[in-house]
Amino acid sequence: MDTNTEATPTGPLLELKGISKRFTGVRALDRVDLDVRAGELHVLFGENGAGKSTLINVVAGTFPPDEGTFRFGGEEIRHLTPQRARAIGISPVFQEFSLVPSLTVEENLFLGREISSKGVLRAREMRKRAQALIGELGFDLDPSKRVDDLSRAHQQMAEIAKALLGRVRLLILDEPTASLTERETGRLFELIARLKSQNVGLIYVSHRLREIRALADRVTVLRDGRHIRTLDAAASTDSELVELMTGRKIDLLFPAIPHKPGKVLVDVENLTLVDGSVRDVNFHARAGEITGIAGLVGCGKSELIRAIYGLEPIAGGVVRIDGAPYEFAAPRRSLKHGVAYFPANRISEGLALSRPIRENASMTVLDLPSFARFGVLRQGAERTTIAAIMEQLQLRPPNIERIAGVLSGGNRQKVMLGRALTRDLTVFLFDEPSVGIDVGAKIEVYEFIKRLVEAGAAVIVVSSELPEVLALSNRLYVMHNGRIAAELTGADKTEQNVLASFFKNHLTAEVA
Amino acid sequence: MSTALTAAPPHTAAGLGRSIAGRIGFLPVLLVALVAGMSAIDAQFYGIINILNILRNASFLAIVACGQALVIIAGGFDLSVGAVVALASVVTAKTMAAVAATFPGNNTVIIASGVAAGLGCGFAVGLVNGLCVAKLKVSGFVVTLGTMSATAGVGLMITSGIPVYGMPEVFVKGFGRAQVFGLPTAVYVALAVVLVTMFAQRRTLFGRYVYAIGGNVEAAVVSGVSIQRHIVGTYAVSSVLAALTGILLTAQVGSGQASLGGDRMMLQSIAAAVIGGVSLRGGVGRVEIVTISALFLTILGNALNLLHIDSRLQPVFLGVIMVAAVALDELSQRRKSRV
Amino acid sequence: MSDVELSVTAKDSGYAKLLPRQWLWRAMLPIALLVLLFGFAAVDRGVLSPANLLNIAQQTSYLALFAMAQTVVILTRGFDLGLGPTVSMVSVGTALAMAGATATGHDTGTVLLAGLGAGFGLGIACGLFNGVVIAILGVSPFVATLGSYNIAIGVATTLSAGRPVQGVPKLFSQIFYGGSVLGVPAAIVITVAIGIVLHLMLTRTVFGRSLYIIGTNPRAAAVAGMPVKRVLVATYVLCSALAALGAIMMTARTGSGEPNLGGSLSLQAIAGAVVGGTSLAGGRGGVGTAVLGALFVTILSNGMNLTRIDGYVQMVVLGAIVIIGVLLDRLRLERR
Repeated sequence: MDTNTEATPTGPLLELKGISKRFTGVRALDRVDLDVRAGELHVLFGENGAGKSTLINVVAGTFPPDEGTFRFGGEEIRHLTPQRARAIGISPVFQEFSLVPSLTVEENLFLGREISSKGVLRAREMRKRAQALIGELGFDLDPSKRVDDLSRAHQQMAEIAKALLGRVRLLILDEPTASLTERETGRLFELIARLKSQNVGLIYVSHRLREIRALADRVTVLRDGRHIRTLDAAASTDSELVELMTGRKIDLLFPAIPHKPGKVLVDVENLTLVDGSVRDVNFHARAGEITGIAGLVGCGKSELIRAIYGLEPIAGGVVRIDGAPYEFAAPRRSLKHGVAYFPANRISEGLALSRPIRENASMTVLDLPSFARFGVLRQGAERTTIAAIMEQLQLRPPNIERIAGVLSGGNRQKVMLGRALTRDLTVFLFDEPSVGIDVGAKIEVYEFIKRLVEAGAAVIVVSSELPEVLALSNRLYVMHNGRIAAELTGADKTEQNVLASFFKNHLTAEVA
Repeated sequence: MSTALTAAPPHTAAGLGRSIAGRIGFLPVLLVALVAGMSAIDAQFYGIINILNILRNASFLAIVACGQALVIIAGGFDLSVGAVVALASVVTAKTMAAVAATFPGNNTVIIASGVAAGLGCGFAVGLVNGLCVAKLKVSGFVVTLGTMSATAGVGLMITSGIPVYGMPEVFVKGFGRAQVFGLPTAVYVALAVVLVTMFAQRRTLFGRYVYAIGGNVEAAVVSGVSIQRHIVGTYAVSSVLAALTGILLTAQVGSGQASLGGDRMMLQSIAAAVIGGVSLRGGVGRVEIVTISALFLTILGNALNLLHIDSRLQPVFLGVIMVAAVALDELSQRRKSRV
Repeated sequence: MSDVELSVTAKDSGYAKLLPRQWLWRAMLPIALLVLLFGFAAVDRGVLSPANLLNIAQQTSYLALFAMAQTVVILTRGFDLGLGPTVSMVSVGTALAMAGATATGHDTGTVLLAGLGAGFGLGIACGLFNGVVIAILGVSPFVATLGSYNIAIGVATTLSAGRPVQGVPKLFSQIFYGGSVLGVPAAIVITVAIGIVLHLMLTRTVFGRSLYIIGTNPRAAAVAGMPVKRVLVATYVLCSALAALGAIMMTARTGSGEPNLGGSLSLQAIAGAVVGGTSLAGGRGGVGTAVLGALFVTILSNGMNLTRIDGYVQMVVLGAIVIIGVLLDRLRLERR
């Protein structure tokens, strides 16, 4: 790790003024200002879709801004490329890892800046440097392992190590703690403290208040691509930050959802998956109730509901739907049994982006006589039904012939939700329902879930967002490393208890 | 994670077999089985003439397959290799004939210019392929579909379909049909190509970047790797190697022919790559295994001949075995990811 | 992660800005067709003669049918490399069956049925092989159809002993080639009829809808409960069945079962489909694009033949056309 300790006596390390960026039809950034000082940890705070990712990509040189000025270390920077950014000391650690899965850790560390002579790689030297760096960082990472053989947390460590190889003056961290445990997060925070003392500037992207409290010197709040305000972390309150981020009062974020538990609709006993991501899980969900599952990214909560729906192979255990055992689960059969799944990744698993909204919404019901008879589509009926549903969900603009690809995240989720209204369903499995959605749409999603529960459905919500899953659930399971770490209801359902359960499980796992 | 393999030493022969197969894949096992089987069945199989024949043909295929493998690893496809083989053959022969007419007797110049012309046109086609894919962003499949037709056309145009004679004796008898230490020259060339490509893959910047681009092109871009340059590079290498094969074939056959290579060689090169572990998704593959695969395919064809399987039925066997090999690999991959 | 789809590898090559508006695009290929036709006519007036135009239409029928066959699987992100050999195999099989039935003294009706049964039977078997290997065993379309390519070639040459198979009854040739309906040659009638049926199927049935969705996002289709595997198998069966029909039509024309009838049809058909606007990435294309592409390629080669452009030069031109066609199509997408 090579940190440039020469202090810039005048002015900030990084200074962005009036940065705008447009993608086809979407204004991602609208005249945003940002300045970061050397030795400061500056948090970029905002909801998903606020423009945080776009802004840091501009800083890292991934693409140029449409307008605005960019000064680094006092100099004006134009035509920045990722390579040049790295050369001048800007090091990004992205959320979507920039690692090549089929290469090893050390090969990835040096990607783009290999040590070579005349085109031939000097592998031994790179291995030495890689090991030195990893040792310095205190990570338990094996440089000779292939990246796709690593756990998500280790992949993140590799990503961080990659960013710290070479000269670093400004480090950008994009939601780095999403998949780290308390202990690993603690180590990351230590590392950050060290970097600050070495006068490295840090941009830390997050939408979690805890981290701001622990780390930030200043906070810049973004919303809908605009710079809302920059504040001193110490001088701001939580509710002030949330209000700036969402544009709404904090207590209006989650609707009050009545709890009227009926019979058990989903019952899972000793479930273990073939790939081991879920182990010996006992779980149940009742009608008229929201059952939440919280946990870190990669803990197995998504896999659990995917297995119920039929997307993950089951090695052992029993799943019962409405009392009857459900074997050989498959999406088609699940739908017929009244179980629907709403995937976390709408782009890869949810929508066919170049097809019209109408076709996307009706994808799950083409087996029903109301939509097709003897294999022939009833296109008139389809159009009327889907249009009515989209109207009910307040899809704006309401044209259902537009292709799904031009819709915002919130509208895309509405198209997915539309599927809930096209057939008789009693169990709803939501996987990260509010990821990539702006605040307004989020509230509509929560309202929708509320209506489902009020109508007597069993709703299961899987979420990595602790505030969300705490507020929505009537009963909350916490998963860690593939097992249930806790089941919390009522007054026990607190953030502290959730976090405490990770730690406990971690300990017991080590002893075993 | 992968401690399963080392933590529990296999107690049975089956367990040992499975763990070895898991590490190096099915192919070498199949190859050994094939060779052993054939040797037991037909004595002619391990006769010296047959072995030399196999080695020579495998060499030709291996050279083309190496280039194809590189292109596929980087995420592309080269359908034009067969046509390039033909074009190079024709161009080399024509050039040699023309230069021989101007500088009779000066064999070095004649051969050098012929080889240069052949490799040169291969390079040209590769450049066109690479630039279209990299700059125009059209898929490799389509671009090389087009250049395949165009290149074949050019080759036929130059010769009007007739073989081209007039190459120096020393080129044909002294090189193409010669043997060094009992092995055909083609084998040495192939060995050299495979070794150099292996080295390039493992130890050079170019090789590393080809894997990176094929494995995760966004990561490569963000890391500052020059995507365009490397894509052009892979297509250029592929075409030059195809041209090299064309030249070797010409030296062996004794004349330039537009019928060499062709669709058959192109399909075989891709089959060799795929069976040799190159993933059509990109980012994965090693040329040494591709070479074994080329050897396997050649021996397979040879075996079918020797077994007097009707030459007309042979493609059937080839087809079935190829699909079976890849399907088996798919299934074993699925099982691996479950551990 | 941001709401906005960040395109790190700028998919926009920048050339799209040079091109005209959206509506002009749809018309581009038909316009190009007419330009081509009249361009050739300027060199040789015979191009526009009724006889030649009929010839073009008839030639296009065959290629269009094969392009439609490829389009069906290309929609699902696949392709059939073995289409050519399938045609050869069907041709040989049909002729053999009919020769055999005639030899054993059956009446013409049964003979024809035997031929059609054998032909379509072989086609469907081929399609089943492809479909099962691809959808159920998970082998890539390239390898799977390369496998059936080899198998079909082997079967074709073995069954025919390498020589044309005689014994195709006159009635057969009459129905599928020589005859005409209201003066329109059989080949054209059949292709138009099939085209209409296929178009309806693609646009109005659940099966057709599945093709487009699976081609656009197979993962989403599976998660939504669509029977992806079943649909894929059916798709390859359909493709081979259409190829079989084309083979039967071509056999009727040659009057014998030819073990090399398919030649380089596989790639020609793909080229035709692609030039017409079918995207190899899946989810885009249809009967219209297949027919337009086939028409374009046929007019091109017809014109080049009549203006006596060297056969080898024609190959070069075809190659260039394929690249240009796909490039333009991709730019059209960007423009949207």
